[in-house]
Formats: sequence, structure tokens, C-alpha cells
Amino acid sequence: MTIRHNLPRLLLPFVLALPALFVFVGGYTQWVIGYLYLFIIQGYVAWLLFYKTGQSFYGYSATMALGAYTCVVLQRLTNVSPALQILLGALISALLAMLFFLSTSRAKGFYAGMASFLLAILIPKLIEALYPITGGRSGVQITGLDLLLGSDNYFLLVIFFTVVIVAFIAWLINTRVGKIFTLIAENEDLAQATGINSFKYKLLAYTVAGLLSGLGGALYVNYTGSISSVDINVFTSVSIFFIPLLGSKRSLYGPLVGSMFLVLIPELFSSIERYLDILYGLSYILVMIFLPDGIIIGVGRLLARLFSKIVPPKTLGNSS
Amino acid sequence: MPPLLMEAENLTVTYGSYAALKKVNFSVFEGEIVAIVGPNGAGKTTFLETVAGLLKPKEGSLKFRDRNITKLEPFQRRKMGLMLIPQEGNLFPSMPVKENLQLGAFFENKRSTEEILNRVYRIFPKLQDRTRQLAGTLSGGEQRMLAIGMGIAANVKALMIDELSLGLAPKVVGNLLSILRDLRDETGITLILSEQSIKALDVADRVYGLEAGEIRFTEDAQQLDRDLIKSLYLGA
Amino acid sequence: MVLQGLITGIIIGGILSLPVMGVALIYGVTGILNYAIATIGTFGAFTTWLLLPYGLLPAILAGLLTSFVIGFGIQQFLLNPLIKKKGNDLTLFFIITFGIATIVAGLTKNFFPRPTISIELPKLGTLFIADVAVDINKVIAIAIAFSILLVMRFLEKTTKTGKSWIATSQNLKMAKLVGINVEFVYSLVSGIGCILGFIGAFFWGVLYNLTVNTGWDLCFLGYIIAIVGGIGNVWGGMISALIMGVVISFAGYWLGGMWQSVALYVILFAILIVAPKGILGSERSV
Repeated sequence: MTIRHNLPRLLLPFVLALPALFVFVGGYTQWVIGYLYLFIIQGYVAWLLFYKTGQSFYGYSATMALGAYTCVVLQRLTNVSPALQILLGALISALLAMLFFLSTSRAKGFYAGMASFLLAILIPKLIEALYPITGGRSGVQITGLDLLLGSDNYFLLVIFFTVVIVAFIAWLINTRVGKIFTLIAENEDLAQATGINSFKYKLLAYTVAGLLSGLGGALYVNYTGSISSVDINVFTSVSIFFIPLLGSKRSLYGPLVGSMFLVLIPELFSSIERYLDILYGLSYILVMIFLPDGIIIGVGRLLARLFSKIVPPKTLGNSS
Repeated sequence: MPPLLMEAENLTVTYGSYAALKKVNFSVFEGEIVAIVGPNGAGKTTFLETVAGLLKPKEGSLKFRDRNITKLEPFQRRKMGLMLIPQEGNLFPSMPVKENLQLGAFFENKRSTEEILNRVYRIFPKLQDRTRQLAGTLSGGEQRMLAIGMGIAANVKALMIDELSLGLAPKVVGNLLSILRDLRDETGITLILSEQSIKALDVADRVYGLEAGEIRFTEDAQQLDRDLIKSLYLGA
Repeated sequence: MVLQGLITGIIIGGILSLPVMGVALIYGVTGILNYAIATIGTFGAFTTWLLLPYGLLPAILAGLLTSFVIGFGIQQFLLNPLIKKKGNDLTLFFIITFGIATIVAGLTKNFFPRPTISIELPKLGTLFIADVAVDINKVIAIAIAFSILLVMRFLEKTTKTGKSWIATSQNLKMAKLVGINVEFVYSLVSGIGCILGFIGAFFWGVLYNLTVNTGWDLCFLGYIIAIVGGIGNVWGGMISALIMGVVISFAGYWLGGMWQSVALYVILFAILIVAPKGILGSERSV
């Protein structure tokens, strides 16, 4: 393990922290950047659970919603401080993820995936049914931390949390536990044959993912100041699940690049908002077919091919 | 000499990095019975499935009736008169015997199908007693009979049968082989049989020896040196 | 009230069973779970609605044909090449067909002048079952939903095309070898599946209001109930659709509209946890 080998991993927190400078730009641009960070968190969670641990879980909007709506409900019914609301939101979401795993652990891959997909459909319906407290489809306003701390400070706080969460995930996947996660993703039978209690590690992965996704959701609702069942519906889940795939599921920077595409590109196309679904659908199909390894690796290959035409391939080969 | 019916040139088939067939050259003349012999894992099934179009070769070309068929789909090859009876899973288990045979005669019209089915029943009277029975409930020997019956019903130019004798008693195998030879003498059909056992040599005109994905020899069946076969199985 | 609830439940379940059978049929033959069937069917139903001024029958035929062509085309030009390249990967095809559903729903939203439609059929009067009055159009809807299964079985028994799709579902390799153009069969069956989705969406539009969102609901339910009923098992799908229809109906009475779908999804979730392979098991090994 040389420094050079670890460089991308060590550099990631700084790359992620740099956009904090947008605080000097301000305005709508700054707001969009903060919004992007809330999805970067979800993207890394999906990366950890779906792609690094191989668990077919589609319920990210459900865990996110639980974090967010815990804050909403606590604020409307109690006097707990916002910090405690966020903490409880994360914990309740972790609990949901744990319970989900425990109840579906008998089902195999695709079926468990479908159960989580059902969860992503169910939670918005539940929120709509509980509309007197949650605001349902038309949404609810809360006095978020952005108002209490000032939007610039809260923007910085969101970036700080994102950096911490992503750094934690990047650290985790390189520990022994993270390597066991990867082994379970690649070959669970082998993992069990070598004496690893895969059940325990999967439970851990779900819990961590639920905790971080719920934390992200709680930060989200404090950032936007309002939330409705439409914000966290099943399409949100599929988008989040799609983030690492779009960027590259094999690269540490994949979820970052993926969220940038998913959040920023629609901003550029806001004039044709009504056609956005069509663009989303097309991008799902095109990426699955033409960029199965994501944008980073796809573009990398393209560049390599271009360069190999200019530079003799021999010199390029040495670097790998 | 009868005209050339099928020709494979430099056929290479790979599974990932493993080459199951290496530059195989192979030819069959019209009306011939050709046996492909070789030990388990020599690539016989791979070869037949490639000819039938189930597998796509990495290199090389296939010609059938003077047409390049390398890129054709299985159903197109079948339409041209080339059919394979695989060694396993060669029936539609939840369909009755009769429907299996009808599917065998897929490209025939209704009337000629009846005629062909009657011909199959003459060859295998046992099948006629069981036309309504589900194919999956037949005994092993009957299932093989039905599979070959489907091949006969197909009314093709060239019929390939993978491991005809697998799991059958020697006497049954002898019967099936002589039925096939009679069929050839009667209709002029070309037969390509892959065999792990060497019993097929009794009816074959020509023999290909396949080992580790390569053709080791081609000989007329009558002049075949038994030592060659031995070397194929036991190594040189 | 119980009878009324039961009748409503059977009507809803009968309509639901159409996209479910579509998903099951396509899965049985191609090995792919197609998510987009009901959204494609909804697009077809909107087409029918748009063309209603030109007569009911031409409009229905146009909707039917549109759904078939979309289903056929997607299978032929997108899914078949993918199956060839990547095999049957449930997750891959879940995402791809979800993408297709998103595109088709987006087109429905943008292409048609109104977001909510209701298809007016000539009133045929009412029928009395015990004391409960039932619109004859509803009876027709149910009769058609149930007879679809019989029509399908009839086609399978008597036509060469029907036989070739059964052969393909039983033994793909042998189907190819006896000369069946399996890719064409796949596309054909996908087209037929989308026709089933269309009939479902059409009757939904006749009995209730059809929107892009109800199209999505039919889509979720069609897909999930097909899995819950035993992935690819047409009978299992139909039975579960009926049960779910009755659940929706009674949940509506007892819990009210908002809790109706919560109850439904909770039950589906519970079934998926208890019997992940579905109520009747699968006709095809996954």
C-alpha cells in the first residue's frame, strides 16, 4: 500500500470539500450545490449497500423518508432540538433497514429486491394516509436548521456531513469488514465456506446504510424546509440506485460523478422540464447498454483509445 | 463421388478463454453416415451445436448446400434442411408425444405432417400406442426413440444426433443404428452421429476422431485401424 | 354490503389480472419480467380515447394495435439483442424495462391533450345480482378478463404460433432446433402481453378515471402481483389479482381511500416475505 495507490481515496474528501467555496458565490447556484450534496450522500449509501455488498435493495427513498419525516413529526409534536431530531431520524431509519433485512433475509436476491421496491412504494402511500401529521401529497413546511443557523452556515454543515459520511464509507470499504462486504457481494457461498458469518455482516451493512441514508434524509428536510410524499417516491429510489451505476460502480468517485449528472443536468434542461421523465428513462437504458461500467470508466476507455492513437500504446501500458 | 453437403473450415469455438474447438476442418458428402468419435469432453457436442447454430464460432466458416451459413440462426439452418437432436433436453416434456412429433415436422404442412407421422409410427410402433402420453413420462428408451422420431419427422437433408447411445442398452443401440442405416438407404438422408461408444462404427461410412477440440484423424470406417481409436482415448 | 364489496373486488381484481397475465405470459416464454406492460397499455388506452370520435370499434382497434406494435418493437429491437448479449438477468431487465415504462409514461403525459381521461361506452343498463345493481359494462369487462385465459389456452392448443410459444417456454434449445424463430415468438408474445395491458387500462378508463399515475399503479401492481402469484405462473397471477382486488375493495370500505393502498402494499409485502417464490410457485425455474 503506497501513497500513490491510496491517493484517490485520500484526495476524495478534499475534492468533496472544495465546493464549500460556492458559499462565496451564493444565490441559487449555492442552493443547487447543497442539494447535490444531499444526493451524493444517498449515492454513496447505495454504492456501499448495492454494489459493494451486493444487496439488491431499492428502498433508499424509504430510509431517506424515514429520516426526514422523523424530523417533521418530532418538530410538529414535540420540542426536541433539531440536532436530536436529526439523530433520531438516522436511528429510526437504521432500525427500519435492520428490520427490513431481518424480515427478508430468507428471500433470495431478486425477491428481496422486489420487497424493498415495495417498501419504496409503500412509504409514500403511508405518508399520504397520515396526511394530518405529514402533509401527505401537498407537503409540509418545517423550520429547518437552514433558518436557525443561516443558510450559508447550514450549507457548509451539509458539505461537512457529506465529507464525513463519504470519508467514513471510503475508510470502511478498505477495512477488514469492508473487504468481507466485497467478498459477500462477489461470492457469498465462498464467504460462508471460509467461516464468515455473512448474515452478521449483511445486517451490519443494512444498518450502516439505513443510518447514513436516514441522516441524509434528515439533513435534506432541514435544507429544503419542506417535503412531500412526491419528493421521496419510488422514482427517487430508482434515481438513487442509479447514481453509482451512472458514475461507475467500480470507482470510488462513481457516486460523486453520478449524482452530478443526475442533479445538475436536469438543472441545465429546466426549460424542457416536462420531457425530463423521457430523458431519465432513456438514460437508464442507454447507460445499461452502452456504459455498463459507468461514465468514469467509459470516458476513461474513450480517452485511452484516443491517446493510444497519438501516443504509442507501449508508453501507456507501463502506467497500469 | 457424391456432392459435398457440408463443410466446416477452421472452426474455432471458445468459452471465455478456453478453446473448446481449435481450427476444426470437417466435411460431409450427401448420403453419408459420418461418426464423430472421441472421449468425453473432446468437443463433440460443441461441434454439433455450432453446426446447428446454437453456438457462434469465434473464427472459421460453415457451408451447407453451397451456402455460407456461419451467421444464420438455428431456425434458418433447420429450414435449409439441417437438424440436430441434442443428447439431453431433446423433448418438450409437458407436451404429448404427437405434438412433439408435429413440432419435429415444423415446416411441413398439415397433410404431409400426417404422412410423415405415419412413417415415424411405422419405424417406432411403440410411439403410436402412446400418442397422447406426455413426453416427460416416457421411459428413457422411449424418450430417445421419440427424439429420433422428431428428427425423422423433420424430413431434413442432414440429421445430426448427439450421443445416440447414451444410457441405452447395447441391444437397443444396435436396433436404433440399423433403423438409421435403413433410413439412409431408403431416403438418402445424411447422418452425422457423435459417439462416445464405438458401436456407431458398425454403420458409419467415415469416421472423424476428435480429441481436445482438435481433429486427430479422418478414415473410412472399413479401413479404420482400431489402434487409432485406442490412441484417441488413451493418449498417444 | 359484503356482496357489494365482493363484486367490486372481483371487478377490480379482474381488471388487475390482465396486466398480471401479461407479465406472467411474457415471463413464461421469454424469461424476462417486463415492467412496462401496463404503461404501454395505458398509452394504448389514451390512443383509443383520442380516436373515440371516429367510432368505438376503430378506436379500440387502434389502441390495441398501438400497444401491440410498441410491445413487439421494444422486444424485437431492444430486448432480444440484449438477451442474446447478456442472458436473462432479472435486475438488468428490471432497470431496462423500468426505463421503458418511464419513457412511455412521459410520452403519454406529453402526447395527449388531457392528463385524465374517462372512456365513455354506450350504456347497456344494469344487472341485478341478489340485491346489488351492477353496470352491464362491468360484467362485460369481467367476462372478457376471464375469457382471455381461455382464448390463450385455445390459441396454444390449436394454432402453430400458439404451439411454438408453448414449445419455447418448455424447452428453448429444442424450440430453436426444431425450427422455431424464437426471437419472433418473444416479440409476438410481448406484443400480446401489451395487448393484455391495454385491455386492463381500457376497462380501468371505462369504469374509473385513467391517468398516467393510474397507469403506473397498474404497472406496479401488475408486476408485483405477477411475482407474488408465482413468477410466470398465469393461474397464480390471476388468483392473486382477484384476491388483491377484493382486498382493495374491502380496504376501501373499512379504512377509506387513503389507507386502501397502504393495506394492499402491506399485504403484498407480507406475502413476498412469507412466500418469496409466490403463492403457487413458478412455472419456470429462475
